[in-house]
Amino acid sequence: MEFLHLAWKNLWRNRRRTLITLAAISLSVMLTQASHNLSFGVYAQMIDSGVRAGSGHLTVYRGDYARSRKEELSFDPGTLVEAIAAIDGVARVLPRVYLPALAQSSRESRGVLVTGVDPQAEAGINPFLKKIIAGEMIGSSDGRDALLGSRLLKELKISIGSKFVVTLQGPEGDLLSELLRVRGAVETGIKDLDGSLVMIGRQRAAAMAGIPGRVHELAVILQGRAEEERVRPLLDALLPPGGEVRVLSWEEAMPNLANAIKLDYASQRVIFIIIMLIVTIGVVNTLLMSVMERIREFGVILALGATPGRLRRMVLAEALVLGLVAMTLGTILGAALTWYLVEHGIDLRSLISESLEFGGVVFDPVMRAAWDLGYMLRIALYVLALSLLASLYPARKAARIAPAEAMRHV
Amino acid sequence: MLWRLALRNIWRNKRRTALTVSAMVVSSSLLILALGIFSGMLSDMLASATEQYFGHLVVSVTGYQDDRDFFDNFSPDPELLERIASNPGVRGISPRLRTFGLVSHGQSSNPGEILGVEPASERQVTRLQEKIVAGSYLADNPETGALIGRGLAERLGVNPGDELVFVTQAADGSIGNDLFTVRGIFSTGDSRHDNGLVLVGLSALQRLTVLPGRVHELAASLEDPMTAGATAEQLNRQLPEGLEATDWGQLLPEMQEAIAASDVSRLIIVSILYFATGLGILNTFFMSVMERTREFGILMALGMRPWRVRAMVLLETLAMGGVSLALGIALGLALSLYMATVGIDLSETITPITYAGGTIAPRLRVVMEAANFIVPSLLLLAVCLLAGFLPANRAAGLDPVAAIRED
Amino acid sequence: MHPLHRRTLQRLPASLALALVLFAPGFAAALELRELIRHVEQQYHGTSSHARTEMRVRTEHWQRSLEMEAWSLERDRFLVRILAPAKERGVATLKVDKEVWNYLPRVDRVIKVPPSMMGGAWMGSHITNDDLVKASHVDEDYTFTLLEESPEHYLIECLPKVNAAVVWGKIVYEILKPQLVPGTVTYFDEGMFAVREILFADVRTTGGRTLPMRMTVRPLDKPGEETVLQYQEITFDVPLTAAFFSLRTLKER
Repeated sequence: MEFLHLAWKNLWRNRRRTLITLAAISLSVMLTQASHNLSFGVYAQMIDSGVRAGSGHLTVYRGDYARSRKEELSFDPGTLVEAIAAIDGVARVLPRVYLPALAQSSRESRGVLVTGVDPQAEAGINPFLKKIIAGEMIGSSDGRDALLGSRLLKELKISIGSKFVVTLQGPEGDLLSELLRVRGAVETGIKDLDGSLVMIGRQRAAAMAGIPGRVHELAVILQGRAEEERVRPLLDALLPPGGEVRVLSWEEAMPNLANAIKLDYASQRVIFIIIMLIVTIGVVNTLLMSVMERIREFGVILALGATPGRLRRMVLAEALVLGLVAMTLGTILGAALTWYLVEHGIDLRSLISESLEFGGVVFDPVMRAAWDLGYMLRIALYVLALSLLASLYPARKAARIAPAEAMRHV
Repeated sequence: MLWRLALRNIWRNKRRTALTVSAMVVSSSLLILALGIFSGMLSDMLASATEQYFGHLVVSVTGYQDDRDFFDNFSPDPELLERIASNPGVRGISPRLRTFGLVSHGQSSNPGEILGVEPASERQVTRLQEKIVAGSYLADNPETGALIGRGLAERLGVNPGDELVFVTQAADGSIGNDLFTVRGIFSTGDSRHDNGLVLVGLSALQRLTVLPGRVHELAASLEDPMTAGATAEQLNRQLPEGLEATDWGQLLPEMQEAIAASDVSRLIIVSILYFATGLGILNTFFMSVMERTREFGILMALGMRPWRVRAMVLLETLAMGGVSLALGIALGLALSLYMATVGIDLSETITPITYAGGTIAPRLRVVMEAANFIVPSLLLLAVCLLAGFLPANRAAGLDPVAAIRED
Repeated sequence: MHPLHRRTLQRLPASLALALVLFAPGFAAALELRELIRHVEQQYHGTSSHARTEMRVRTEHWQRSLEMEAWSLERDRFLVRILAPAKERGVATLKVDKEVWNYLPRVDRVIKVPPSMMGGAWMGSHITNDDLVKASHVDEDYTFTLLEESPEHYLIECLPKVNAAVVWGKIVYEILKPQLVPGTVTYFDEGMFAVREILFADVRTTGGRTLPMRMTVRPLDKPGEETVLQYQEITFDVPLTAAFFSLRTLKER
């Protein structure tokens, strides 16, 4: 304890240097923690968005539908929807049907993807439904109402209330046509989707394709990402044996999103390693310098009977105190900055026109941080550890001092 | 004389010099590396979209890029090509013809986009030749060879060597149809291209569509993609009436926005880097001069003029800073070269990602840019000069006795 | 319809039979109208038919002329083959129920037309693949009202049945008296804007029937463009079997 007190006093003997070093380390800590938390928050936003608009935290598919998207891979959900919804932790189960088709108006025709959903289930969950720019969402699961992508509406030269016809290939290869009516238009921000989305009730979709009652996907939305691990086996147990129908996690079902995040994260990690290295160099330098300038003093202390080991421990103690103060200060500042970024975030709207797409998901133009306390603690500890590590060489130098020579030093 | 004094001072305290120099060398080289990684990321993002398909810039009939009207085609005369090529920074020009039609094999048929190119020119603008997963790229004289996306190949059930039938409406209204042979299959990771794009020889497509000598666009690649906007503007002033140049920013607004957003995070992190490095260097240089206050005091007491003290320190700092920087650049260069050629391959855990109109290969690498060396060097040099000068200035302003008494 | 009358109708020339139907007392007008429309839509087909035609297409960018030979059986099968120009000789289209195939002699391959191409033009004309598939079932998808009757013509308004899979808001048939042949058929979108019209002309009697030998399709949003289909000769009740309408026949030159 007395050691630390001495260490503290020693540090403050050269106030300027200590302050500059403290500033360098703690600011690096602050910025590292805050920018990680920002990324963390943005990733969470994107995953949330992707999970709700896409295929859920967990998804039930048949065969390799996730990759191949072959319409033949539909299945009968039976009582699965209710059974899965009953699992603790599950917020919603969204059954969906996907059918590539041709949409025709009296003037134009376009290739589209007819998406059959359960409007009641999707309400409040699917973020696309917040982007309805005209008309309104479809009402029933078997009606002829459709929600169209805004670009598609324009290209077909129709408007809200207009009718149009979709034609698709039935299970026996014959052509099936159905009349639909535009109830609303949605602008998701994803160009391809806005040019090809036709959202209708899933019972209508399945009936239209000659596969009544069947679905292509069951998107399971959980209360939170933390539930995923616990719920997955429970869900698995509900599936019919044989393995034809299986459950995928969102990373497996939406690899684009998962990978985009992984890549971004990997590059960030490399950069942070570099930052930590730079900071470490600075700390080594500082400590070494502080030892060097006190050579004479150390020589005296040694001559007076102190052991080299004691000197070494002194230097370590100084590094420890420096590290502790820097990490604490840095973490406090990091927390403050994070708090600001959580409450206010960074608004990108001045740079970006409307919405932004990343890994197939549209994300909010306001980047908001989220608390990753684990990471913040880790960074603080790394910094402490690095300080101690950085002190090893200077401490050795201190211990090696030959008193007589040292005292002669200027 | 001052120089000699400065150099001797540096040599005198080898340890101090070594400390100071090494700190700066390591920090500056790491900074250069980090900047290089960012350049690499940006370049990859951009390349993913432009080098797969779009090119950096296209010249086409005004309005063509909005609706891709088949009849908006033109005949590129050699003078036009030369005029475009003469613009500095233009690396390659590829004439292309585009049509939409039915691609068929056996019992399966699928709509597809058929792009007619001159392989030798196209290779300079896009890099599909690096994305071949089966067979090979089109030969320089492609004849009836075709390059098909993997998703489309799977749907049609074709392999290299199989035949394809193309059916499309020709320019004279007749039904253009012809047999092509699959030469290779590509996979970009972008489903739009993998599931719908077919590349064939330009003359073969011109024959199929009855458009002899006509093209829809001249796609160009530039040395520096970021100059595409300016180059397009320049071209627009030179092009004849009816033709326009469009840069990738206009073709891929999502990519431009994605780059803007990533610039924000890049700025934040680069600031942290400069900050950490700068402070570190500030610390070392500052301290190393600060602790010599007494020494300066003695010098001044012995008659050295204050301005000479300042000048001497400045020279020392300059010398050390210069050498550190030189070594730092060298080390940075070495690290960057390694990352530029080898890089860190992440494809074990990460598959290609489709993102804002492009597809990115999962690897970390560096793109060598002069700015990534020059800017940090100048900035860090400025920092260390400041860091060295300030304490010297302070010492020079002291009364020599007071300076000597400082510890 | 009453079974006795059906048999009678089959033996009489179609137009005469219709005249009887129209002027016979006790039949609902709508029924007659449906028959009238059916008759008009089937005028080129009958139970079976064989024809030679010339099709001239004019678009904004090109014009061309094709000579074709066509066979049909009932409402759901037909085969068309191009005879001229030489470059496209042998190109043929086969329709069986709702499926369409094309044969391309130059590459000697048969292509099935997928749903995504059904909106596309047939042989480059203003008639779409979809028209070919749907046309013969107009009488099933609409309800009919007589708008106007004059000594020269009937004007019949066809409104799509509630959930019929048709893109039109309304079709107006003008049927000329006394031969009961179509004059102009106008297609409207839901907003009641006229989008397309088909004009019939050159009425002649051949093979026991009276029908217009020329049909002009005009897209009203593209002025100057049109497709003119001119029948040069047509015979009805030809001995054809369902087997004739096969992929093998499609490939014959």
